[in-house]
Amino acid sequence: MIILFVALPLVVAAVLPLVGKVSRRVLPDLLANATLVFLLVYAAVTGRALIAGGPLLQQVTWLGEAVGIRLALDGFSLFMLVAVSLVGLAASLFAIDYMEHYGGKANYHALYLIMIAGMNGLILVNDLFGVYLFLEVAAIASYALVAFGLGHDELEAAFKYLALSVVGSSFVLAGIAVIFGMTGSLEFGAVAAALRELDAGAVVAIASALFLMGFGLKAALVPFHAWLPDAHPSAPAPISAVLSGLLIKVSGVYAMTRIFLNVFGLTPALSAVLMVLGAVSIVVAAFLALGQKDMKRMLAYSSISQVGYVVLGIGLGTPLGIAGGLFHLFNHALAKGLLFLTSGSVQHATGTRDLDEMGGLAKRMPITAAANLVGALSIAGVPPLNGFWSKLIIIIALVQAGEPVFAVIAVLASVLTLWYYLLMQRKAFFGPLNEKWAAVKEAPFWMTASTVLLALLCLGIGILFASTVATWVQPAADVLADGVQAVTGSWGF
Amino acid sequence: MTPKMLLLPILLPAALAAILLLLPRTLRLLRDVLAVAGAAVLVYYGFVFFSVKDLRYAVPWLGMGIDFDLRLYHFSSFILLALAGFLILITLYATVKMKDAPRGREFMAYVFLTAAFANGAVLANNFVPLVFFWEGLLVTLYGLITIGGRPTSGRTAVKALLISGFCDFAMILGIGLLWTVSGTATMSEISVEPTGLAAAAFVLMMIGAAGKAGAMPFHTWIPDAATDAPVTFMAFLPAAFEKLLGIYLLARVSLDFFKIQPGSAMSILLMIVGAVTIVLAVLMALVQTDLKRLLSYHAVSQVGYMVLGIGTAIPIGIAGGIFHMINHAMYKSGLFLSAGSVEHRAGTTELKKLGGLRRDMPLTAFGFIVCALAISGVWPLNGFVSKEMVFHGALETGYTVFAIAAWIGAIFTFASFLKAGHSVFFGERTREVPEVRESPPAIVLPILVLAGLCILFGVYNKLPLTLFIQPILAGHAEAGAPLDFTSHALDVFNMVALISIGCLVLAFLLHRHGFLKGGRKAHLASEPIHRLPGVHQLYDLAERRVFDPYEQGVKVLHGLSTVLFKAVDRPIDFVYEKIVTVTGSKFTGILKKAHNGHYANYLAWCLAGLIILAGALSLLAK
Repeated sequence: MIILFVALPLVVAAVLPLVGKVSRRVLPDLLANATLVFLLVYAAVTGRALIAGGPLLQQVTWLGEAVGIRLALDGFSLFMLVAVSLVGLAASLFAIDYMEHYGGKANYHALYLIMIAGMNGLILVNDLFGVYLFLEVAAIASYALVAFGLGHDELEAAFKYLALSVVGSSFVLAGIAVIFGMTGSLEFGAVAAALRELDAGAVVAIASALFLMGFGLKAALVPFHAWLPDAHPSAPAPISAVLSGLLIKVSGVYAMTRIFLNVFGLTPALSAVLMVLGAVSIVVAAFLALGQKDMKRMLAYSSISQVGYVVLGIGLGTPLGIAGGLFHLFNHALAKGLLFLTSGSVQHATGTRDLDEMGGLAKRMPITAAANLVGALSIAGVPPLNGFWSKLIIIIALVQAGEPVFAVIAVLASVLTLWYYLLMQRKAFFGPLNEKWAAVKEAPFWMTASTVLLALLCLGIGILFASTVATWVQPAADVLADGVQAVTGSWGF
Repeated sequence: MTPKMLLLPILLPAALAAILLLLPRTLRLLRDVLAVAGAAVLVYYGFVFFSVKDLRYAVPWLGMGIDFDLRLYHFSSFILLALAGFLILITLYATVKMKDAPRGREFMAYVFLTAAFANGAVLANNFVPLVFFWEGLLVTLYGLITIGGRPTSGRTAVKALLISGFCDFAMILGIGLLWTVSGTATMSEISVEPTGLAAAAFVLMMIGAAGKAGAMPFHTWIPDAATDAPVTFMAFLPAAFEKLLGIYLLARVSLDFFKIQPGSAMSILLMIVGAVTIVLAVLMALVQTDLKRLLSYHAVSQVGYMVLGIGTAIPIGIAGGIFHMINHAMYKSGLFLSAGSVEHRAGTTELKKLGGLRRDMPLTAFGFIVCALAISGVWPLNGFVSKEMVFHGALETGYTVFAIAAWIGAIFTFASFLKAGHSVFFGERTREVPEVRESPPAIVLPILVLAGLCILFGVYNKLPLTLFIQPILAGHAEAGAPLDFTSHALDVFNMVALISIGCLVLAFLLHRHGFLKGGRKAHLASEPIHRLPGVHQLYDLAERRVFDPYEQGVKVLHGLSTVLFKAVDRPIDFVYEKIVTVTGSKFTGILKKAHNGHYANYLAWCLAGLIILAGALSLLAK
């Protein structure tokens, strides 16, 4: 019943506006979070049993008739589902208190669940058009969510986001068209098999470029990144957390990785391009983050930089590199989600995102400050937190594969990362308390609880990194390392 | 009695510590009851274990010879019993003395945590668990000193932590070497000749053990702690627990792990450490003007006797050293507790401000006097017996100089206690201290128990010697060596004892001379010696901590760090500060300028990127 991952949030999203007429706060909160808890439990507890005997496939039927949608669950998609449900749940818990002053909670939760459904669908489909379909489902919900505050900034940011994102989607569609024209098929397995017989290097290269640009735009790789620092900070904090923590990874990195590694097969050319894109993103965005005064903008640039690490690791193409990249994807989803949530707590308490106006908030918001520190140190790669291990794996993989230059870039950029995160921590939380914030209080319960949850996860996964990698990351990396065989061999109906 | 029971002395106090820490302040009564009851259980099991004597609990742990291995035998069961005994007395005392202390709850918890670690260290039969428990003691040491709550407490705590940490580090190095030499980490299987690498291992482990006991030059935090830490802490750790642990390990090191021969270099090294500690520390003790500081220097000085005794490597000397350890723990703990009792009522321990308290606080005075006579080695108290044994041992080695050092120590010990006791409990009442009453029973009882034990162990010295001390030496004594302790020690009419008694008389005359010269003021009785030309300057230097390796080390480090800061750090900093950051911010500035918010630009980048990608991919694909 893996269709539940898509259908359940969609159904609940449809019901929510009606429920909102009856109960404005309690029931929508309860329903939305219960849905996400269910998805998390379903994915985390039963997921591994489902795919124990190989990938699980499901033909979607409508009134007994098979329709053209097929879903597939393997190690990689399960890994992504767990990440989505986990961070999605944390952000949704955070929203219980945070969205209080925005109003329209039922609508918010409905849009949010549509976005989750879109991401889950994108993770589970096994044809190219399905990818496009769910990409758009998630994206359109996210446009509305960025604009949810309806202020001037939010509307402008949503519009800009929409303008560039649509460009990305259309290039993805163009790439799909090229592939369909060549192979006459859309299903991953069939496309992969057809491409192997066709030997059409140049056309595949054009299609790859189109996909790279389209998904690169979604993933905000440099030079396709410029929309993200406008869009992410303007959204409500839980939405920023999900956009930076999940959406760019699902609609950018996941889709790109699935198509390049499992459908096209990773050629040395693609590998080189991906690694260069990753490295450029890491360095450029790290410098940009350093220059920011706006807390959420700094986090947004940091997301670009960290996605660069993920792409660098996956682009390397060795089993260890892929495992490192995927582990970093997961860790970054947790830590960046956490940081956007704590920045939301700060904004909620002080009304500002300007780091220069903050100062000494640790005295007033000790739990938020501690959680923020955990997240910052995790992304900066300080042991024993989770981010340290994934960066370490990526760097080891780079060295093993004989790419010392990229390894050095990765190490130096992590120093930059530590630099701007310490800057942020010091300006916002440490030092003498700005008198303006003397009356500030610690964030409300659910906001604090969700940040603490994520911080504990960062710490726990850091300590238990070996078993996390073995249980969740390795099966996903195995699927990717199998390359084209993964979809042509066992995915057929 | 299953081997698993050996976990009890470790787990019970650890669990109690957690509970005590969590109990709210309002449940103070419950806290005290729990603490005393827990300590009582430990005492009971101390006796049970002492009667069992032979038990081993070993489970595989980390592999490679690292097992969680606990072993109970006569020596460890004796120390275990002693630790439990002191624990209950200190706990009882603390229920009153630490009642209103701001961090009393933490104090109790740390005390029990210390007991857990100490019991573990005594029972450990593998070096890795030993180091684990031994290092755990550092944490509680730091915590307990900071509870003193004075402005300098934190500084003293750091000092204690660093000095003890250094000793522990030396011990770990020594253990590593010994492990390499012997090839096993199981303590009961190790017995090597102290030559070559093993000699280095011996010296390092000796530093670890003697440093824990507070021998010179690792003693300097103790006098500081005497004023900065709670007096209960002084009676607990430096007076009792650390002596027991340090000397226990020293005895294990020099008797079991290494076979030290009389007259060997190692033996002489130990004796030198012991003799130097005795003389220098007692001279410092003599001129102290605060009762607690005076006692703390004696806590250092007396370690010298133990180290000297064990260092002789002669059965009677070793037995004397170990006997002195338990004796010292009793009377020094008793002395600190009496000082605490005086502080409790009079509010000060400065000798100048005190006087004539024997009428107001007769029980405290009685306890103090018995313990003070015991530490001074007055017949027939326990200190006399163990010191006589050490004198005999030192003489038997043939190096008379060590015996002379020990006798010099005896003179000044008695002199300084005459001064202290005279100032506090005799003479006229001073105006600084108002009318006082005797302390409550929970304070007086531990003092009297300890004083009673001092008398018992002195008069019936056969009891502890045959019950506790003799079995430890079983298998170590040379064949045919005289182990007849009683004939040696209690016979007042032999040369050694007569010289000792002569020393005491000399000390009394010195005190009388100083007392009369100082205008019949007892606290000035040590002034004639203090004022001796040459000696005075040395004392001044010592008071300014010139001889404190820690303080000097800190100064050297400060100098070194200043030089490094000016010559190395600043230039490097310039590179970072000016070159790296300026380049970084320039680069950031350029990038920020490029991100001007014009979406047409952004779109153009995307398209340019697409063209480059398409070109690159097509080129690379060929």
